[in-house]
Amino acid sequence: MAPFIQAQNLSLSFRPKNREPVAALTDLNLAVARGEFVSIVGPSGCGKSTFLNILLGLIKQDSGTLELNSTPITGPSQERAMVFQEFGLLPWRTVAANIELGLELKGTPTAARTERATELIKLVGLNGFERHYPHELSGGMKQRVGLARALATEPQVLLMDEPFAALDAQTRDLMQTELLQIWERTKKTVLFVTHSIEEAAYLSDRVIIMTARPGRTKDVLQIGLPRPRDYEMRLTPEFNEIKLRIWEVLKEELNSRAPL
Amino acid sequence: MTLKTHFAEHRRFWIGLGSVVFFLCAWELILTYVFPVNPFFFTKPSLIAAAFREQVQGAKLWHDLAISSQAFIWGFSFAVIVGIPVGLVMGWRRRVEYSLDPFLTALYASPLIALAPLFIIVFGVGVLGKAALVFLLSVFPFIFNTFAGVKSTDSLLINVIRSFGGREKDLYLKVILPSTIPYIIAGARLAIGRGLVGIIVGEFYAASEGIGFAISQAGDTYRLPEMFVGIIILSLIAVVLTEIMRKLEITAAPWRASDEVR
Repeated sequence: MAPFIQAQNLSLSFRPKNREPVAALTDLNLAVARGEFVSIVGPSGCGKSTFLNILLGLIKQDSGTLELNSTPITGPSQERAMVFQEFGLLPWRTVAANIELGLELKGTPTAARTERATELIKLVGLNGFERHYPHELSGGMKQRVGLARALATEPQVLLMDEPFAALDAQTRDLMQTELLQIWERTKKTVLFVTHSIEEAAYLSDRVIIMTARPGRTKDVLQIGLPRPRDYEMRLTPEFNEIKLRIWEVLKEELNSRAPL
Repeated sequence: MTLKTHFAEHRRFWIGLGSVVFFLCAWELILTYVFPVNPFFFTKPSLIAAAFREQVQGAKLWHDLAISSQAFIWGFSFAVIVGIPVGLVMGWRRRVEYSLDPFLTALYASPLIALAPLFIIVFGVGVLGKAALVFLLSVFPFIFNTFAGVKSTDSLLINVIRSFGGREKDLYLKVILPSTIPYIIAGARLAIGRGLVGIIVGEFYAASEGIGFAISQAGDTYRLPEMFVGIIILSLIAVVLTEIMRKLEITAAPWRASDEVR
């Protein structure tokens, strides 16, 4: 049986005006099983986010195939939802109205929307903030709204593009643990792009390490840590061992690049 | 609360008020004692105040105001109805932008008020001619500000709507229009000033009633206090309307107000 998400020889170049094309991805191959939590790490500009955007359906590859459930991805669809690094909340909408956005675009009746939003507000721990506007929230709370909005449409795949990169370190640790709890309850397939080795190791079933631009899969590491995972697990020798393994693969790629 | 802390908290208001009072007193005193000018050629606050009282109690001022407002409201409303959609489409569709750009740049840069005689000839001396002039002057701030608002729409939000399967209509209604509203209100603020100029010039040029006509007639017949009454009423209207727009800007876009450093 074909994997749930499968990318085969996926390539994409950007063609900026009056400049040479830049290859963002070349022959990317990758497979993800249903319900799996997979992180993608790689040097800056290696095409991690580009890959997520192709998967989301916002941009199209030049060549290669990308299939979800054996069906090629041709455009956006509510079976996939993204949590954006910069949140992407509509500032003129309340928390509840932001969470309802996807449902609204799908044409879900108001009553069902409200019910679903209430459910999700509880899930992400934003009780009492339904009527608040994004500018009244902290970064962590904004991303809770972002997560709730993505989950509202009940997607099969959750795409997360450095979702916690804009948060401070403590909020980040907290959000990671909560994300794991939510993931264990909802059992979504998650593709999680990050720069943080620690984050990738802590959250994932598998970590995909990409090469420097143009991006390809360099290595895939299975993270054998038992679940449910908690913060204390990060202080164990096994965890450090995993981080070191990821670092050693990634290091070669960072070294292969011209100095920043 | 003591008087002192009250003053400290409302410094801006009290100092502003003090400065206005000082200006009026100086004007009055200088024209009374230093240069006692013939009231035929210049006037002073006490005479203006007397004329103001008289005018407010009479019927002519209110009639003139009603006449002018009618033309203003018509012209301004059409500027809203035409300006906002044109700005929206121009901002979102490159081809529309490029084809309208030369006309708009030329029209916006040139002193459109020079077209007043033409408008009066084409549309007549009545409400229509003046309304057309108000429209001409106030439509551009709406077009340009709406356009600028659309251009500055956060592309991330566009992607959010797209990623949920939103169509072009959804992009307009759920992102572009709401994020452009603060720009439109700022445009309205500019448009009010320009529209008032349109009314006044239209009435200076050819009219038999209206506040602009009243001002020019009072001037022609050397009734300076009366002329100042018209001018003051106009300033009051302009200030009130622009202040309303400013308040509206804050309530319509609270997320921006909190970003601003006051």
